Amino acid sequence: MRVPMSWLREYVTVDAPAEEIARRLAICALDEVERVREVGVLDVDDNLGRFLVGKVLAVERHPSADRLRVCQVDVGEGDARQIVCGAWNFEAGATVAVALPGALLPVLEAPLDERELRGQRSRGMILAEDEVGLGEDHAGIMVLPDSLEPGTPLDQVLPIREEVLDVTPTPNRVDLLSMVGLAREVAALFDGELHVPEADDPELVDAEPVDVTVEDFEGCPRYVGRVFRDVAIGPSPQWLRSRLYLAELRSISNVVDVTNYVMHVWGNPLHAFDLTRLSGGRIVVRRARPGEELRTLDGTLRRLHPDDLMITDGDRSVALAGIMGGEESEVSDETGEVLLEAANFEPVGIFKSSERLGLRTAGSNRWEKGVDPYLAEQAAVHASRMIVDLAGARMTGHVDVHSGLPERPVVRHRPERTDHVVGFPIDPGEQCSILEGFGFEVAPNWDVSVPTWRARDVTREIDVIEEVVRTVLDRVPFTMPLRRHVKGHLTKEQRLRRLVEDVLVGAGLSEAYTWSLAPSDPHRDAIRLPDPMTADQAVLRTTLLPGLVEAVRTGLDAGFDDVSLFEIARIYLPSGEPLPDERWRVGAIVHDGYDVMKGVLETLYAALHLELRVRRSSHPSLHPGKAAETDAGWLGELHPTLLEGVWGAFELDLETLFSQVPERIVYEDVITYPAARQDIAVAVDEDVEVGALVDAAREAAGPILREARVFDVYRGEQVGAGKKSVAIHLAFQSSERTLTDEEAAELRGKIVAALAERFGAEPRA
Amino acid sequence: MDPETLEKDALAAVAAASSLDDIDRVRVEFLGRKSALKLALREVRDRETGMTLNALRERLETAIDARENDLRRVELDRQVSEERVDVTMPGTPFPRGHLHLITQIRREVEDIFLGLGYTVVDGREVETTHYNFDGLNFPQGHPTRSPLHTLFLDQQTVLRTETSPSQIRTMEAQEPPVYIVSLGRCYRRDTPDATHTPTFHQVEGLAVDEGISLADLEGTLDYLLKTLFGEERRTQFTTNYFPFTEPSIEARVSCHICDGSGCPVCRHSGWIEVGGAGMVDPNLFEFVGYDPERYTGFAFGWGLERIAVLRHGIPDLRELWRNDPRLLRQF
Repeated sequence: MRVPMSWLREYVTVDAPAEEIARRLAICALDEVERVREVGVLDVDDNLGRFLVGKVLAVERHPSADRLRVCQVDVGEGDARQIVCGAWNFEAGATVAVALPGALLPVLEAPLDERELRGQRSRGMILAEDEVGLGEDHAGIMVLPDSLEPGTPLDQVLPIREEVLDVTPTPNRVDLLSMVGLAREVAALFDGELHVPEADDPELVDAEPVDVTVEDFEGCPRYVGRVFRDVAIGPSPQWLRSRLYLAELRSISNVVDVTNYVMHVWGNPLHAFDLTRLSGGRIVVRRARPGEELRTLDGTLRRLHPDDLMITDGDRSVALAGIMGGEESEVSDETGEVLLEAANFEPVGIFKSSERLGLRTAGSNRWEKGVDPYLAEQAAVHASRMIVDLAGARMTGHVDVHSGLPERPVVRHRPERTDHVVGFPIDPGEQCSILEGFGFEVAPNWDVSVPTWRARDVTREIDVIEEVVRTVLDRVPFTMPLRRHVKGHLTKEQRLRRLVEDVLVGAGLSEAYTWSLAPSDPHRDAIRLPDPMTADQAVLRTTLLPGLVEAVRTGLDAGFDDVSLFEIARIYLPSGEPLPDERWRVGAIVHDGYDVMKGVLETLYAALHLELRVRRSSHPSLHPGKAAETDAGWLGELHPTLLEGVWGAFELDLETLFSQVPERIVYEDVITYPAARQDIAVAVDEDVEVGALVDAAREAAGPILREARVFDVYRGEQVGAGKKSVAIHLAFQSSERTLTDEEAAELRGKIVAALAERFGAEPRA
Repeated sequence: MDPETLEKDALAAVAAASSLDDIDRVRVEFLGRKSALKLALREVRDRETGMTLNALRERLETAIDARENDLRRVELDRQVSEERVDVTMPGTPFPRGHLHLITQIRREVEDIFLGLGYTVVDGREVETTHYNFDGLNFPQGHPTRSPLHTLFLDQQTVLRTETSPSQIRTMEAQEPPVYIVSLGRCYRRDTPDATHTPTFHQVEGLAVDEGISLADLEGTLDYLLKTLFGEERRTQFTTNYFPFTEPSIEARVSCHICDGSGCPVCRHSGWIEVGGAGMVDPNLFEFVGYDPERYTGFAFGWGLERIAVLRHGIPDLRELWRNDPRLLRQF
């Protein structure tokens, strides 16, 4: 909301400059305050002194220019000034705004100078609103009230020099979406004097009944309806136009401007209907009928939902309650009779309708946050006064329909509880005066009565405490919790996840982040979003692989053909329960094929004190001849159709992987008695897997075989067709004694025998 | 054979040896199997002569060894003086990967709180509306409950919109005191742009104990912010509103560009908003069965991406999900 400071200062007297007010509001009251914007004419070198009220004494056509006139203008200097002017919307006797030579105007690059215009001297300028930053209209000059004395400084009459705040209250503080609410806040925070605008309610003339029926008090707890006749629709006076402009509200006509102005003042949105467009001059508030439509005043035909609250005339809907009026019942230049609506609408319904229709307005923005139902009357009175004063109307009818206005909450407060929550003592007397400053009433027994405009938000002691706390926020000391009992450590799984990350980074892989939501998923029952944002993010993934493939492709496109990536993230398995089984996975794609990937995986397993044991297997994303599985997942070479180039890949379930990690490593003597090392080479059929040979060797020798590692596989003439020679390095070691050569030879013999028996392996020299 | 002459000749030969070959020859000549000394030793008959000759042998061995060592050293010096490399040549490349920036930040935040005695909790990402909204005091009709803002799986199931459901689950599972942080992915129906991605990361902090105060919250966040952004930064806390905390505050840190004097980055305020926090609303305690009179607590939930933006100047959050090697390698 835009807050012109001169307007705010009309309601509150404080010395503090705008910057200071903005700063303190930002800390104690509002979500956001943009910096103070300075608008209008510059306040330098007495520039403001060159803008004066003038009275046009005489107007004549310019002797040599058809579109110009020559005016004699009294600006309080004694002698009149001659000013040449191109506007035609005034005559002699008009009161106008004048800039004297030397004045700096926001629309001119150089100071205004005294000059000849087609032979006529012009000693100043009669101002249009756009020339001093008070509007966009350049069709004519600003015409001011005749009561003003010539020579009056213009900045006393119009906000030609203005500071504007742009404020955003938190959603619980709709009371601060109003000038009065902000003035009250500023008065309380700066100990200033509050002047709430008080309008005299116009007398009813030729009183007549107003026919308002509320069929749905839940949606519309209050409806104040007022009727005005003999309304003269026309432009608003300059002061009103200027204020609306600075508040970023568009000036439309006097009656419509009044509704917007009063909304800005009080925070209660209003609406004006052309009474003659309401069938029977009636108002009925009800929900929309099935299939009902309304053309709103932005020209859009809107299909309504049975939950939408409508203002109707009994027959047809004439407005979307609280959101936007209908085009047909809109106040126009021809309007002579007006029904003013000052109502109260329930927030959730307005929010839902506005969201469903994708229609957010200044009105809906307030209603959806819960406006004080007591405001309707103040707003109605203020607006009525202005409609009577500005449009020359008679107020002929008034009705106030409601189902009972809510009681003010009363909350028992313990000042010492504030100290407990905030962590330092705040004098009870200060707490009391803070609360009273915000309009709370504090009884001697600390029963705190909440003002109506805060009744939704402040209902409990903690809410009262917040009112005190926000006011003293900049005095809160920085302390640390006592933490008498804490146990700060990572769980085993968290610790091991970090280890996996570090090992893979050490092995040259970079960590990728890919989306949890995928366009599709290989799992038949993968969980689909019923209403995804985009087709790309429609399914909760059950595998990390597609995201990683995409990430590698990004790297390839960027010109890197050696990308190696991993990701640790969750996948979401359908569980048959309401919530899926969320499991941590590590997935990786490694540049250059099976061997490199397997090496990475072996390093990872070794770091976890695990032995990598794989079985041949198959996987739709893997090369059929280069696919394997472990207890925790799969590994292999990516199928060539997936990604150009040769890539190893794996994906493991971390919980399964970590469940095998030993809790602690117990010391074993591997130093005192050295290992007996032996190499063997055996010829076997090509289809015998070396892993099977190693397994058989271990089985044959038992735990005394400390290490069995295949270090060479040879194929060639000496071995024979369909055969391969496998060389295995063996290390036998006991932690109790040094093994003799005879013992080592015997063990080796056992292994060779076992390999011969199981695989027909022939020892080679 | 005169031992004295022999010794004199031998030592002269040792001194004259100028290469390892020379010294080898000297060793053979004077100590070899056919050397005069060895032959003489073989023929010794009396003890005294034997002792004399053996002492001589030892002296000669010592002298020859010493000379050999000296010559070896000279040889080595010569050799290394000829071995030169261009020390400015690059080393053998060794593969090195990179942790994602968000992981680095996640660990940093975890470590800060581990140091303060907090535990790290892994919350769920798919949540019930019960934990994501009801338990967190979101009123019916709150915008976040709308499918326009939240990704629903069905009426009762959502992708969590913040890490806060882990607060409720943790409090349900244990009695106070509670000191936890919970970090992970969150989801909102935000159209991706420079400052929004539909998936993002939050860190949630929760402390519940007897006597936890707003001052404790501000002290903790001040410590966190200064650790993340630098000791010289100032912090400020402003009022705010969230359904799950009361009072609610927002943490701000002095602008890293202008140090508080005002610039376009901080929108001329001198401060940069980092994230929301507050005292746990008593309704949450009632929801989980804690006594709100006895216990107070604080909570905060910040975006890790926000820290990445503020500290590393990431201009567009979508970049963090593209996995371009050029970006990954920067951090």
